[in-house]
Amino acid sequence: MSESSIITNLIGILTTASTLFMVAAGLTLVFGALRLINIAHGSFYMYGAYLATTLAARLGGAGFWVSLVICPLVVAAMGVLVEVLVLRRLYRREHLTQLLATFALLLIFADIALRLWGKSVRSIKAPSALNGHFQFGGAAVPVYDLFVIGVAALVAIGLWALMSRSKLGWRVRAVVDDPEVLAASGTNVPLILTGVFALGAMLAGLSGVVIAPEQAVQPGMDAEIIVAAFIVAVIGGLGSIVGAAIGSLIIGVVETLGAVWTPSWASTFIYALMILVLAIRPWGLFGETER
Amino acid sequence: MSSGKSPVPTASSQEEARVPTGAGAAARSSSLARSVATPVALTVLMVALGFAVGGNTLTTLEEVLALVVFATATNLLLGQAGLVSFGQAVFYGIGAYTVGLGWLHWHLSFWLTFFLAPVVSALVAIPVGLVALRARRLYFALSTLAFSELAYQLAESRYDFTQGANGVFGPFVPSVLTDPIKGYLFLLAVTVVSLLLMWKVTRSPFGLVTRAIRENRGRAQALGVNVYRHQLIVFVVSGFFCGLAGAMFVVYSQSAYPELLDWTSSGTPIFMAVIGGMGTFLGPALGAFIYQFGHDELVRYVSDWQLVLGGVLLLIVMFWPDGVLGSLTKVKWSQWRNSLNKGGSDE
Amino acid sequence: MMHKNIAIAVAATLLLGPLAACSSSGSSGDGNGSGGGSGRGGSVTIGESTSLSGSIANLGQTGLQGLQLAAADMNASGGLLGKKIKVVSADDNAQPATGASEARSMITKNHAVALFGPVSSAVAAAQEQVAAQYKVPIFFHTSNDVGLMTKTFTPYAFQDVPNTMMEPRAVADYLAKKVGNKQITIATFAPDYSFGHDTVDGFLQALKTLHVNYKLVKQEFPPLGASNISSYLSALVSAHPQYVFNAQYGGDLVAFTKQAAQFGFFKDTTVIAMYAYAPLAALGSSAPAGAIGFDRAPFWEIKTPEMTKFVSEFKAKYGKYPTEWAILAYSAAQEWAYAVKKAGSFDSAKVIKELPGASVPTIIGSMTVRACDHQSEVPEYVGTISGTADPKFGIHLYNDGFTAPFKDISLTCSEVKALQK
Repeated sequence: MSESSIITNLIGILTTASTLFMVAAGLTLVFGALRLINIAHGSFYMYGAYLATTLAARLGGAGFWVSLVICPLVVAAMGVLVEVLVLRRLYRREHLTQLLATFALLLIFADIALRLWGKSVRSIKAPSALNGHFQFGGAAVPVYDLFVIGVAALVAIGLWALMSRSKLGWRVRAVVDDPEVLAASGTNVPLILTGVFALGAMLAGLSGVVIAPEQAVQPGMDAEIIVAAFIVAVIGGLGSIVGAAIGSLIIGVVETLGAVWTPSWASTFIYALMILVLAIRPWGLFGETER
Repeated sequence: MSSGKSPVPTASSQEEARVPTGAGAAARSSSLARSVATPVALTVLMVALGFAVGGNTLTTLEEVLALVVFATATNLLLGQAGLVSFGQAVFYGIGAYTVGLGWLHWHLSFWLTFFLAPVVSALVAIPVGLVALRARRLYFALSTLAFSELAYQLAESRYDFTQGANGVFGPFVPSVLTDPIKGYLFLLAVTVVSLLLMWKVTRSPFGLVTRAIRENRGRAQALGVNVYRHQLIVFVVSGFFCGLAGAMFVVYSQSAYPELLDWTSSGTPIFMAVIGGMGTFLGPALGAFIYQFGHDELVRYVSDWQLVLGGVLLLIVMFWPDGVLGSLTKVKWSQWRNSLNKGGSDE
Repeated sequence: MMHKNIAIAVAATLLLGPLAACSSSGSSGDGNGSGGGSGRGGSVTIGESTSLSGSIANLGQTGLQGLQLAAADMNASGGLLGKKIKVVSADDNAQPATGASEARSMITKNHAVALFGPVSSAVAAAQEQVAAQYKVPIFFHTSNDVGLMTKTFTPYAFQDVPNTMMEPRAVADYLAKKVGNKQITIATFAPDYSFGHDTVDGFLQALKTLHVNYKLVKQEFPPLGASNISSYLSALVSAHPQYVFNAQYGGDLVAFTKQAAQFGFFKDTTVIAMYAYAPLAALGSSAPAGAIGFDRAPFWEIKTPEMTKFVSEFKAKYGKYPTEWAILAYSAAQEWAYAVKKAGSFDSAKVIKELPGASVPTIIGSMTVRACDHQSEVPEYVGTISGTADPKFGIHLYNDGFTAPFKDISLTCSEVKALQK
């Protein structure tokens, strides 16, 4: 492989990993605190992207930057509603109940999106500052891809700092390990749960905005991304942010190298890899064993 | 914190509780009469129904029968063993593909492939179960989901063998079965036999042990039960009947295609079990009826069908977790009436 | 007794479910729809079960709009044989079992006298079976699998769209003319399912037939509807092909174009793809100038007065210009109406006899229905995307539009016969 091919494919790996990580991180964060898998996470991602197309159409050039701030907040508010109205009532129930409830929400949100935004493909332009590419080592490096990678890196650092360097992170972990002690020490446990869920939703909304200029915003993107995010979260280990990062990188590498060497098997590899990981470590690379 | 076990008692365990042990031959024969009465009555009813309705509804009934077996087989894992599998569509799809591809590539006779289908599915279920059952609860659900997506992806992309997304369509069903009423009666016979066999499995000592594992895995293990092996056997038995259901699907659809293997197809029998009541043996079958007829009408008359389906599903899981049959058996009408008369509870 | 309760509950549902379904058939049918067209007045029903949700919803939706507009136009001019045409529709959710069951109930409950096709080819195959079983004609205007008219051909099925053999062949013709004897490097990029593989195979086969001197440097098959194709794209970009044949469509093609543009990919590489109205409109000013587009029915290339009238009518009603799916659905409805008028009846057996060999006037011009496979003799359109937006339509259209005539790109009848078995 020539130097320029290596650079190009490296960008492919990192961009794939970054887009997956942003979605999977929210999914796994929510699992870490609430012990529930949110299928409607895909809906939050889709709403982030759709809201961005609406704002960009209204505001023109600056629309993207405004969307980047506003849309994740709107989606976080959706998350609060979902947690308070539905999920809060289901924490004591079986996993199956929670899975089915969030699947039902996915269906409901999908139909509402069809109502609000129609069925045709929508798209927004990347802001001019992020457009185009520069030459590096004989390869073209798209500026937007670097932006995506940068946002994902910020999200990773932010989550790491939040979870392992702040008091809030300690409380979130305690919610899982010792909710009674936490409640007794005067912490508002329901508020923490709502907050974590909203944060997860916000991350999904943010990734929706970030991918909108490079992808087609259309019905069905909710269900598509959720399966991809599952795979990442499961390979990395549910509940582990580090796992989500490593899992996304592994998928990026396997998919890119698959596309380079054996294109017709590339999309099959991902599932085979997931099964392989689960066969060796059923709780994922960085997950905890189930109690 | 929230990984609580299902407290839903099965209909059968209540049943057992009420038959006094060592009550003698009389009790046994009456329980025999009872155990024969229900299947016979339901079968007669279904035969009558087949002749009463016609045309299009009969085809939907054929579809429902395949789904009855699919949902009941899935519930062997769900209700009996407490295993949530999002991968049963793998075996359902393989059942359908065995018939379709057998015809396409090797010109095998329909009858041969029809009975081969469950065997092939059961054989595939062995390695899948060996891997998936290493995980528990959520991870088990997700790893079976991965198998579902893998199977779907293979069927889509190995198009030289499977014909990809176009699916396998063709005149591979004998004309005697494409006649609606004959096809229906054949499927009904297969359904009755399958349900009786699955009922036997749940009633057997083996079924009892799987339920014991579901209730308390640790205790079962402490008593020397090989949990992994027991769960693997249930998984393979479930795969066997899911494969049979897939072959039944072919009888009226005359086709096999990748969507049958998708994780959303794996979700369908779970919905059915939840709607009908996964704590009961016949609940999933009832759920199959309700879901399929409801879904058919819904997609035809309501353009926002996803909204309605999602809404109904959400309400059921939130407020009616025992499903239709589960709720009925909980109430136990006769006792309720008695307790009213006596003015007290006899629970 | 608990057991009795279960039995009663099960019995009640078993009885009520199907019987309720039965009774609805009596009320929803319009009574005179299934008649053979005797007597005037009343209405007649046609049905379309297609994908109205998920990533291909736009194809299904605009196709349905074309059909509905056709019915409205016919009704405005007095209906067909004096009857108003009613369109029933349903979402098949891209599931063959759902599509088949909807087609069945449209025939048996709504008494539909004709069906119009879905988007997905597996749904199409399932509906083709149902249509043949109930002896009702079905017109495919979106799914274009050649197998529908060969392997699973039935006398009740008609195809009004360039099939998976014709479309890539037309593109290969255009390319062969453009490159002459020069040696070129080519890569392919297609969704990983049968349509993608078939179209790519058809294209490469056609290049061989045309003796184009090419070298295949890369073949990528990203999943259909994938949200993220960076991996596949970087593998493609690093292969540096001169030409890329891309069989993606709709949203997938939009995503590909935007991401490839970020690499500056369109500068040195000529991409050949289904740049039809919908993706060009979604791309707006980001449309890749100089890329080669192909389209089954671009309204701007079909310069007939009927098309002009249709376009302005469609725009007035739906606020958008028509996609090729809408145009071909409209002409499929015209084909059916033509046969009904000729037969003087809605009776299927009579209707399907009128079509083979007939030349039907439609908005895309006179369309002959080939007798051997019921394939409409429609052309495929190819062109190079313009660097400037069209002043009237506001999007980048084709510069040197080329119409590949049917006879140049289709299988011959003897080839078809061999496949039909």
